[in-house]
Amino acid sequence: MVLTIYGFAPTAGTRRITLICKELNIPYEFVVVDLAAREHKTPAYLEKQPFGQVPAIDDGGFKLYESRAIGRYLAAKAGSPLLPNSDPKKLAEFEVAASIEYSNFDSFASKIAYEKVFKPVQGLATDEAVVAERLAALTAKLEIYEVILGKQKYLAGDKITLADLFHLPCGSTLVQVGFDVFSTPNLKRWWNDISSRPSWQAVKDSA
Amino acid sequence: MVLTVYGFALTAGTRRVTLVCKELNIPYGFVVVNLAAGEHKTPAYLEKQPFGQVPAIDDDGFKLYESRAIGRYLSAKAGSPLLPNFDPKKLAEFEVAASIEYSNFDPYASKIAFERFVKPLRGLVTDEAVVAQTLASLTAKLEVYEVILGKQKYLAGDEITLADLFHLPYGSILVQVGADVFSTPNLKRWWNDISSRPSWQAVKDSA
Repeated sequence: MVLTIYGFAPTAGTRRITLICKELNIPYEFVVVDLAAREHKTPAYLEKQPFGQVPAIDDGGFKLYESRAIGRYLAAKAGSPLLPNSDPKKLAEFEVAASIEYSNFDSFASKIAYEKVFKPVQGLATDEAVVAERLAALTAKLEIYEVILGKQKYLAGDKITLADLFHLPCGSTLVQVGFDVFSTPNLKRWWNDISSRPSWQAVKDSA
Repeated sequence: MVLTVYGFALTAGTRRVTLVCKELNIPYGFVVVNLAAGEHKTPAYLEKQPFGQVPAIDDDGFKLYESRAIGRYLSAKAGSPLLPNFDPKKLAEFEVAASIEYSNFDPYASKIAFERFVKPLRGLVTDEAVVAQTLASLTAKLEVYEVILGKQKYLAGDEITLADLFHLPYGSILVQVGADVFSTPNLKRWWNDISSRPSWQAVKDSA
């Protein structure tokens, strides 16, 4: 039975998991959740995802949501080193990097993406002051990434993990709207590496 | 050799770690990082935590930061069911709950804590409009918690995990500053359960 993904391809969470499926060569069926028609708030969808957000999956009857949980599940199921679960120390180093992604990157990057991409699509005005403030905060955090990536190839160590890949959707949106945030030497090397992967190329513009 | 925790007891992240140590009966040495004196931004501290945040740990030379990563490490090392790492589905259900905590609870709870708890300590004025707006968003998310906790005892299933415990520091501050957010039946049951645990009682007012 094939994995079913319920999502909306332009969103970060949805692309985070189609990316992982491509990395792990997991076939999937994609079911569009029509956000404009508010399908994500219907009782039928709330059965799959009680917070009314995308994405959600159904893996042979096993239901999950939250893209980073789904990514870990698929990697664990595949026994993939993208989730280095072989011992507590390796898992810990991965979890530090994963925690850095959502607390030091995503909180700023997703707000910038919301202002510059999603608001205009909905006919709302971008708040450029918020964008500038978030960009300054993000730039300060990325200076630390530059230090970390000067000591090791990827965020959790010398092997790529989910923690690196989780940055791709929001990171790509930032680049797309003209914010050259991965410009210092180590960041540039790391960003070029992860964003050129075939898995990301396969899903970045679609499902 | 004993575990050393570097932190500041009044912060959520620090208490998240000492709480897990108490749960797992892990002895630790606590070293205060003097935030008021800017100690977290000194070169010596940045060696332990490059983002200049608390907490950080040193476990016999193995260094980590990010409280939720530390919590997972200590649980994995102890083989504790607080991190149900024995099969991909159980791990996935835990990771959904952990993801819910940092994306649907923490951003709102920490903002309210900052306005009502941290600002007064620094002689700044609480912005009650921000509190009201953030509380409304948090309340909407907690309505979904009420649904989830009507079907199962804890957030990941019928056993307590780190995902429940991670809510304790900010959840407790909310209650302390008069935001009665755990008032509906299932939330109340769950909150009374987790907040009465001896581990939380041991660290809630100190290190």
